[in-house]
Amino acid sequence: MIKSPICDMLKIKYPIFQGGMAWIADGKLAAAVSNGGGLGIISAMNAGADYLKGQIDIARSLTDKPFGVNIMLMSPYADEVAEIVVSERVPVVTTGAGNPSKYMQSWLEAGITVIPVVASVAMAKRVERSGAAAVIAEGEESGGHIGELTTMAIVPQVCDAVSIPVIAAGGIADGRGVAASFMLGAAGVQLGTRFLVAKECSVHQNYKEMVLKANDISTVVTGKRFGWNTCRSIKNNFTRNFSKEEYAPDATAEKIALLGVGALRLAAVEGDKQNGCFLAGQISGLVNKEQTAAEIIKEIFDEAEALLKGANSWVK
Amino acid sequence: MVLEKIRELIADKIDCEPGTITEETKFSDLGIDSLDVTELVMSIEDEFNIELEIDASMVAVSDLIKAVESKIK
Repeated sequence: MIKSPICDMLKIKYPIFQGGMAWIADGKLAAAVSNGGGLGIISAMNAGADYLKGQIDIARSLTDKPFGVNIMLMSPYADEVAEIVVSERVPVVTTGAGNPSKYMQSWLEAGITVIPVVASVAMAKRVERSGAAAVIAEGEESGGHIGELTTMAIVPQVCDAVSIPVIAAGGIADGRGVAASFMLGAAGVQLGTRFLVAKECSVHQNYKEMVLKANDISTVVTGKRFGWNTCRSIKNNFTRNFSKEEYAPDATAEKIALLGVGALRLAAVEGDKQNGCFLAGQISGLVNKEQTAAEIIKEIFDEAEALLKGANSWVK
Repeated sequence: MVLEKIRELIADKIDCEPGTITEETKFSDLGIDSLDVTELVMSIEDEFNIELEIDASMVAVSDLIKAVESKIK
């Protein structure tokens, strides 16, 4: 049995979070992960308070276990969803794409455990100072918005810099990744792509098929040139077009911003393999079967436990 | 005084001549990205013993100066 301070802090059985994937991580998936013993997370994505309230209601109808909400700080609705998590007494909030300090005080006063995603040591230290209970150090192996550092590099550096628990994210899909994360100093892990193919995940079947079919070199990073929207997704017609336009001589940040509009919805809801943007991590090649969220979690931790128990065999 | 200190911190960070940095200089022109800005803001906070808000509108040296001056006055 693998236990860490994160289990006690959040009252969960396994120290594993399901990433707050926009258009994918809804109340149903979050509840399935929480029922499986992890921390399910609902993505507030680019939607308003009504959407989030609806998903929280769904999660609550399916589980009595703790769950979280991920707030994308760049969302135009960030202010209103920041209020909903307070009025709904959501136990855990994770944040992405920015600096959450503006909301920290009201969340902490409401008794919410705040765990921001960070992409650098400086960011981790800042949010620790503002009252974060833990941080998610995410490497660029992950799908979606990414920073520059790899998981192997960022996790131990963040662990050294802060005294709150660190959750490792990016490039983790199985027990090997979990065991390695613990060796790097993490007290937990966050996985996105592996949960994307969970049976309880309502994403379009074409999206799941893209991930299941993907191999080690199937993902690509776009949006690097203008720096504000760097994303990893599965190579397709959309990413090829995007890269071509992004590096065209007459490209501007404004023009490129328009290219991505609506592409996540096309992927997750319509399953449009040509024009959708299928965010997924580098470990897509390791994800090759659909299981329930509970099966995924149990398999991963059984494997991690066996590996960690055998770690002694390296020491002579 | 604030400009000079900020110049010094930026120059130290990116290894350039402080004199080449003016109030109008944009971070993007210096190759400073949003992660670097976070780091820079933290050293400024230590230096002036203040706490600053970081947001996407912080794009030039003048924005940093304004933020610092509003806290120390």
